[in-house]
Amino acid sequence: MGNNITTSPVASLDQTPLAGKTLSQLLMRNATEHGAEIAMREKDRGIWQEMTWAEYAEEVIKCAAGLDALGVGEGRAMLVLGDNRIRLYGGLTAAAMVRGFAMPTYSGATLAELKHFADEAPMAAALAEDQEHVDKVMELRAAGCDIPYVIYDEERGLNDYQAPGLLSWTELLQKGEENLAQNPDLRNRLIHQSTPDDPAVFLHSSGTTGNPKGIVLSQRNVISAAWSAREGGSYGEKEEILAYLPMAWVGDYALTVAAAITYRFTVNVPERQETVLRDLREIAPTYYLAAPRSWDNILTTIQVGIENSTRLKQWLYHFFMNKAVAAERRKLERKNAGSFEWLWRRLGEWTVFGPIKDQFGLNRVVHAFTGGEAMGEDTFVFYRALGIKLRQLYGQTENSAFNAIQSADEVQLHTVGRPLPGVTINIADDGEILIKASSVFAGYFNNPAATAEAIKDGWLHSGDAGYLEEDGHLVVLGRVSEVVRTAAGERFVPNYIENRLKFSPYIRDAAVVGANRDELVAMVCIDFEAVGHWAEVNGVPYMSYADLSQRKEVAAILKEAFIRVNAALPETLKLYRFVSLHKEFDPDDGEITRTRKLRRKVVEERYAPVITALYDGSSEVHMTAIVTYETGETSSVERTLLVWEV
Amino acid sequence: MFYRQAGIRHRSYVSDSKLFPIPTDRNLIWFLVLLGIIAPLVVDSLYLNSYVLPWLIWTAAALGLNLVTGWAGQLHLGYAAIMAVGAYSAVHAARFGVPWEFALLIAGVSAAAIGTVFSFAAMRVKGLYLALTTLAMQFVMDWVLSHVPAVTGGSHASLQSPTFKLLGQPITSDAGLYYVAFGWCVIVTIFILNMRRTGLGRALVAVREKDYAAAILGVNSFYYKIVAFATSSFIAGISGALLVATFFFLATPEQFSVNVSIQVLAMVIVGGLASIIGSYFGVALILLMPGITNSLFSAFADYLGLQLNPETLAHIPTAVYGALIIIFLMVEPLGLGKIYNNIRDYFLVWPFDQMKK
Repeated sequence: MGNNITTSPVASLDQTPLAGKTLSQLLMRNATEHGAEIAMREKDRGIWQEMTWAEYAEEVIKCAAGLDALGVGEGRAMLVLGDNRIRLYGGLTAAAMVRGFAMPTYSGATLAELKHFADEAPMAAALAEDQEHVDKVMELRAAGCDIPYVIYDEERGLNDYQAPGLLSWTELLQKGEENLAQNPDLRNRLIHQSTPDDPAVFLHSSGTTGNPKGIVLSQRNVISAAWSAREGGSYGEKEEILAYLPMAWVGDYALTVAAAITYRFTVNVPERQETVLRDLREIAPTYYLAAPRSWDNILTTIQVGIENSTRLKQWLYHFFMNKAVAAERRKLERKNAGSFEWLWRRLGEWTVFGPIKDQFGLNRVVHAFTGGEAMGEDTFVFYRALGIKLRQLYGQTENSAFNAIQSADEVQLHTVGRPLPGVTINIADDGEILIKASSVFAGYFNNPAATAEAIKDGWLHSGDAGYLEEDGHLVVLGRVSEVVRTAAGERFVPNYIENRLKFSPYIRDAAVVGANRDELVAMVCIDFEAVGHWAEVNGVPYMSYADLSQRKEVAAILKEAFIRVNAALPETLKLYRFVSLHKEFDPDDGEITRTRKLRRKVVEERYAPVITALYDGSSEVHMTAIVTYETGETSSVERTLLVWEV
Repeated sequence: MFYRQAGIRHRSYVSDSKLFPIPTDRNLIWFLVLLGIIAPLVVDSLYLNSYVLPWLIWTAAALGLNLVTGWAGQLHLGYAAIMAVGAYSAVHAARFGVPWEFALLIAGVSAAAIGTVFSFAAMRVKGLYLALTTLAMQFVMDWVLSHVPAVTGGSHASLQSPTFKLLGQPITSDAGLYYVAFGWCVIVTIFILNMRRTGLGRALVAVREKDYAAAILGVNSFYYKIVAFATSSFIAGISGALLVATFFFLATPEQFSVNVSIQVLAMVIVGGLASIIGSYFGVALILLMPGITNSLFSAFADYLGLQLNPETLAHIPTAVYGALIIIFLMVEPLGLGKIYNNIRDYFLVWPFDQMKK
């Protein structure tokens, strides 16, 4: 093992009262000791319906008893389909109670993706949010998956459904009550039968390089991660959080189930995905985790709002924002913030920052996080200037989402902070980040080959390249598998350059090509909202995304972004040409994953003609792209794309 | 900047239909109520009883007219006549020995009875025709007041109002009279605030927007027009009675003549139809502005040492006051209440210029 730096203090979960606990025991602890506190809130027709820990635990136990009656148990799985709902979260915990696999899915997943999930483990039931998702289960059944029972939450539109094993949530709870009445010892068994080594949740790797791999996190894994994150200062007890992240993403599970039960968070479930921003304001959470893209979106909304504002408001905004951003940059450079900084901060907070945070419900956020990928410096500094102590966190599905976080007052742009207590990080000789912690999973589900590759001698090989700085801060460069060389032998990580391109508000996605070539080139997808707004303001007419993407005015602003990125790149790694694609990368087309990570192979294959044109000196290329609609139908889009020189 | 809305969430529909869901509004209201309560301590009694007291009573009266004109959409040019009915019935009842509490009630009921007669006109005619009909009724009332000595004692007579008493306690102090006016204004305001969010309020608005469309929705527009006229007249009657009991101390016919009717309508329109805060502003402008412009102008003239003849001194403030009304209505045709709301909106979306999508 290479340069062996162990950074964490010796600490572990086993020395705490949480040792040996399971989620069901912790849930019952909450119900008995803090039964009257609010566990869950869900917005229904504009009203926040509340549920205390006692009520929630009772509902989960009934659900677990019902699942027990349906035959969900050890070694059998329950597919969970839909957007965030209290009952789906309850179902996850209930499935863990009966020692089954709770397998949440992305609500936009295609049939093929779902079938891949459903074929992995024997399915005992499916828990669907509404009619739309029940239909998906029916399609899965038609495609040959054996799913005996389908439980649904929202009954609208399902009155006339005649399918075997279809039952509503209420009916499931009734079954559970009957089961509990018939077996007096069942309640006790449900609470105590699962062990820390039993599964908590069945998640999947993002699958950038192939089919997603099954990842079973044990109860010990997720509770340990929750503990580590708390010890590392990620959150305290009783935080208010908004459950809006996709349920199949590890971050959502780690927070809204594992950490929420362990540390008694109040979980607030928005009414619908479309109302998240408004519900965010009504909740004003104390803990907020969002992907860099979401932070960028809010930033864009703020900037567009200010551009459309009145003169006085604009002037005040720019006056205080410029001062705060400058002070924040000085702080990042470890210089003194400035002598009157406190005064501008106070006044700015009162006149501009406070109201902006209030508009977005971010005024109570104590712990603000971004994770998943790198964040643009401008965005990062903006939020720090706004007074939101935004931090980066680093983690993977394989180790329950929490590896390292930045501390609130010690932020550097290029690092992701120190490893959390209980997490040991080493760097392998080839630069790969290795992790040892009790939050690391036991292995990929039914995939010994992949497991052997990922876990060697108890160290999780994260697949990320990085290094530890002398002060213990971890720097993540990118995926090891993505490190490629140009024809001249220069090493680079395309993802690193792509992220820098994406810092431009006008670029939504980018794919940098250059492995074994003399020069680097890129394909970019414009951000329709930002570029569309820019076009409106600047009087550039356009009809559609495809049309807008090929305008020479748009190419000019994209070129500016490229020049800015080139300025920070070494001479050998400069980008020379680019094409603005006529459609966005779409998870339905397989070009990116559901968490919006680039599937490089697919993109390079599909856009091969474009790549050829980028290198052979032609000034345009005729491209046919296949578009997959949400229904699964496909059609092709033809377009002549222009090649631009940087 | 001042309006913070994050974290306002509702756990029941009752909470969702709160009058003032935003804490800033609530705090402002409490501040104003507090100010109203301590006013006798901080405001000179001359100003308290010659400006603030009539302002409050006229606001209550204007809110009553706003109910029928602003919410129910029925033009009413005979409002002063209804107030006269209330004033005279109360004074007569009080002189007869009826306690003031009941005298006020009699004022309200008798005014409501006469006011309901007006509403029968509203069932047949709308808009300008209704305006003319109510105006005619105002003239009828004027004629009755000046030609039936049994009611008024004759056209030049005035009817002394007995000492105002509540619960047997005579109220004669400046502060006491002020509190009576303040209390009445608060009661009417609370009533109208709540009326807006009840079935009655919504039905009135439906009738205002289009009475036959309302009928299609199952709203009996005749019934609601009668209710609107009766309720508004009840408020008018008590306001008229209180005006006489706490401010004029005697009742004369010209206190409730046709130009008073037009003045109350002006208060409502300048303030803003169907606007509560607007009624407060409208009354302040119409009632207090002449006095204020007058004193401002004479002070200004003194300061510059201008020697103006009394004719000019009397007319220029009136012209300024007229110009002010025109300017306010040109800036915002929906009245002072709307101007207040515009300012509030400006701060509500601060630092943006509109609600974000």
